[in-house]
Amino acid sequence: MLRDRISSIAILGGGAAGWLAAATLARLLKPDFCAIRLIDCTPAAAEPISVTALPSFHRLNKLLGIGEQELMQRSGATFRLGVRFIDWSLTGADYFHSFGPLGSRFDALPFHHYWLRLQQSGLGGQLADYSIATVACRQGRFARPLADRQSVLSLYSYGYHFHAAALAACLRQYAQAHGVVGIERGVSEVRLHGEDGFVDEIRLDDGSSVRADLYIDCTGASGTAPASLPGQQVWRNPRIDWSHWLPCDRAIALPCAAGGEPPPYSQASAQSAGWRWQVPLQQCIDSGYAYASGFVSDDQATATLLSALPARALAEPRHLCLSPGRPTRFWERNWLTLSGSTLEPLESTGLHLVQTGITRLLALFPVRRFSPNDIEEYNRLTIMEHERIRDFLILHYKATTRDDSALWRYCAQMSIPDTLRAKIELFRSCGRVPLLEEEHFGEESWLSVLFGQELRPTDYDPLADVAGIDVVTAAFAQLRGAICNAVATLPMHARVLEQQCRTPVEGTL
Amino acid sequence: MSDRLRGIAIVGGGTAGWMAAAILARRLGQHFGPIQLIESPEIGTIGVGEATIPPIRLFNEALGVDECDFLRQTQGTIKLGIEFRNWARIGHCYFHPFGVHGTGLDQVALHQEWLRLHQLGEPGSFEDFSLNSLAARRGRVLDFGAEPHALRAVYSYAFHFDASLYAQYLRGYAQARGVRRIERKVLRVELRAEDGFIRALHLDDGTQIEADLFIDCSGFRGLLIEQALNTGYEDWTHWLPCDRAVAVACDSAAALTPYTRSTAHRAGWQWRIPLQHRIGNGYVYCSRFISDDEAAATLLANLDGKAQAEPRLLRFTTGRRKKFWNRNCIALGLAGGFLEPLESTSIHLIQSGLAQLAAIFPDRSFDPSDAAEYNRVTIEEFDRVRDFIILHYKATTREDAPLWQYCRNMDIPEELGYRSNLFRSSGRVAVHDRELFVESNWLSIFIGQGIWPQRYDPLADLLPLDSINSHLTQMRNLIRQTAEAMPSHAGFIDAHCRAGSGRLG
Repeated sequence: MLRDRISSIAILGGGAAGWLAAATLARLLKPDFCAIRLIDCTPAAAEPISVTALPSFHRLNKLLGIGEQELMQRSGATFRLGVRFIDWSLTGADYFHSFGPLGSRFDALPFHHYWLRLQQSGLGGQLADYSIATVACRQGRFARPLADRQSVLSLYSYGYHFHAAALAACLRQYAQAHGVVGIERGVSEVRLHGEDGFVDEIRLDDGSSVRADLYIDCTGASGTAPASLPGQQVWRNPRIDWSHWLPCDRAIALPCAAGGEPPPYSQASAQSAGWRWQVPLQQCIDSGYAYASGFVSDDQATATLLSALPARALAEPRHLCLSPGRPTRFWERNWLTLSGSTLEPLESTGLHLVQTGITRLLALFPVRRFSPNDIEEYNRLTIMEHERIRDFLILHYKATTRDDSALWRYCAQMSIPDTLRAKIELFRSCGRVPLLEEEHFGEESWLSVLFGQELRPTDYDPLADVAGIDVVTAAFAQLRGAICNAVATLPMHARVLEQQCRTPVEGTL
Repeated sequence: MSDRLRGIAIVGGGTAGWMAAAILARRLGQHFGPIQLIESPEIGTIGVGEATIPPIRLFNEALGVDECDFLRQTQGTIKLGIEFRNWARIGHCYFHPFGVHGTGLDQVALHQEWLRLHQLGEPGSFEDFSLNSLAARRGRVLDFGAEPHALRAVYSYAFHFDASLYAQYLRGYAQARGVRRIERKVLRVELRAEDGFIRALHLDDGTQIEADLFIDCSGFRGLLIEQALNTGYEDWTHWLPCDRAVAVACDSAAALTPYTRSTAHRAGWQWRIPLQHRIGNGYVYCSRFISDDEAAATLLANLDGKAQAEPRLLRFTTGRRKKFWNRNCIALGLAGGFLEPLESTSIHLIQSGLAQLAAIFPDRSFDPSDAAEYNRVTIEEFDRVRDFIILHYKATTREDAPLWQYCRNMDIPEELGYRSNLFRSSGRVAVHDRELFVESNWLSIFIGQGIWPQRYDPLADLLPLDSINSHLTQMRNLIRQTAEAMPSHAGFIDAHCRAGSGRLG
């Protein structure tokens, strides 16, 4: 048995992110091995209304062992096959980034090269017609994918839209049942140890304090963290700002009455100074506006949101802070920042980054001596992961031809990171997407957005000419037909929710 | 597509040249003009790459080659890994197996559980958790027709074969699919005045070969990539000081072993590669520390059987071209760079270059972003393989000879230093996406060479000692029983692929 084992962890910040971290750690570290406390210091008004999970969430949920039906019922969730982007590359543009490949495995190359070849002869139709998830989104249909790899109904995956507070409550109950102690208090001060600058204790607003071997900061950019939170000065660990690439730094959100059938996707519509979201939940629609404060006033942004609500507002708008950037080091001494939730929410990477952060922490779990090698490895991987996601997000802003407002003119002109520039150049030349290390979004996601934002390669892969044109044409027609027929057999998303996941009226919401 | 290539010329007919010709003929057919291979009958081929690693099977599969037929034609045998003798210290021996070690319990890696027990004085060897190691030690291999068993996923294999027979085999394959072989010497490489691209090769019969893409497989000298295009070479001799090898085949003596052996000597190391009809041997050495004659004598004194010829001397400079793809030329094999065959990566690096070429196949516009991406990916792979090889030299306790004293104290590449520090502190392996050698490979070398982490993963303490004990015991027993039930290597060869036997023999 190791003598200098970490035997206590304190998590700062409740909400879905904090409780997700607590639940996962509690599930894997038994309470007698490591005591976990969560200081729930985030006021509800600073929390988003919805949180969205990518398909990677299934892995986590399997680990926790919460049944999907129960989870969805308790968190007022809907299924998510992708995101619909409206007006991004130009006003009137409309595309989906959905979870699953474009087309299916065909001959030696990625599918889209053959599609590009057909396009040169005016054949092949719309690329989106070869994505089963996108076709299902358009028709509002949903079913869980099949395991049978022969069926086109295996060619997609899905995530969830959760009611944030309800999900947090559900995870909180789970975490507490697994021994996590929740403390509902504000933080007044974070005290550092004089000698080595490690965090010594967290002072709460009732005068008590919490001590732990390891601290995990899940407060995000909610603005609740007291100024004395460690980092900036003492550790020379300043935030690296990305707002020149990801200009949206504020958001307002409010719940609207649910009306009609909830679609199995969320929607992101570009606006003159940012973008508006609509996330379907069982009991309401989360409607919000992420905007660049340099380009629009808070009042104007609020007016824009209120003028375009999908239905009656159910509450006053909440004001949220976004903070596009990252800490220089995610892990410093005995302080770990899980700040994924502060990135631009455009591709819903918040929960995902909490999840990968925790997984990585477990893979590099420290001892009280905190080996610098483990910390360095954690930071190396986490920084790469964040920068890859950053590039993916920037692409949405950069690849635009809109010139109707100052924000979009700025974005079209801005310089971008070299890694993203290399990707775009390679794609433009021959339709290829180079993947770098720690890339969460794979080729299919990059292609959805590159094509969706109306970038077109000058040519396709020359090897696509090896297959006979008749063979390609026939295979494409066959696949399109198979997708069309298969989607027609799927039930409507609203019906699936109704039958399987409906939150009981007396439920937690 | 109008800008399609109208012809590909390959210079050099060794392993690299014929691998390129075979796979390109298979993938491209006649769509991109003729594929022509120019080889000079006067230039001998070098067969250092007779041992391979498991991805070679993907290459065979891509060609549609029948494994048994291929083994029969190339005097091939099965390889389960590499035995390293005298590397950590004189008299020490460890095995680097293919495949992976068994699986851990819950979230904890197997090697961390093992490290925890080890710290408590449990003496078992980490190699006991590798099916490949145990099978190799017993001279056994998994039968092709064997029933699937619980450990299928942890087992893996590659081949040893005669490199010149392999080149011949691929030559037959490529020629049957339309590759034109030209037995001529290249006298002059003509560049286009406007952009320095290669326009044509002038041959010694006065003819010229034009093509849009040129693949340089001409060996160390790099006839196109270096002599014509002056690409430049990165010299790594300060990390990998061996610069010569002397090679000889000998008669087989003892039972047929299913692994390569690498024995460290005073000024380098000796390979032993068992084939069906003979054993390939060579001594890779540093000429600063031993004379050619002494090296040859050392080699001849350490053979299993009678030498079949005079030892052949090879000279090399470890390193690589600054770019593998320059203008309209791609360098493969020794023309691209040289890494000593300590981990049998030569053929793999050729294969990997070809796979990358297929993934980034050019057209006549030769967009520079394609070449840049090809170079990024291939250079990254080459450099990481280099690091893996350097680790063998660096992690030694030998002080008996100047080579080893030098290696113990030399500076190593930053990324390798980082990896070693992480392992030393907590037994963890820093991993990279798309890396050839993965966690289990690095563990085999770290642990095999005797590097001990200061501590194990604290989460290994989550499991009660009893469950770790019984888990590891069960795993070890299962692996041993599975290994013992396998057929012998020689029996396997007789049953499936004895050279000279009939197709159904």
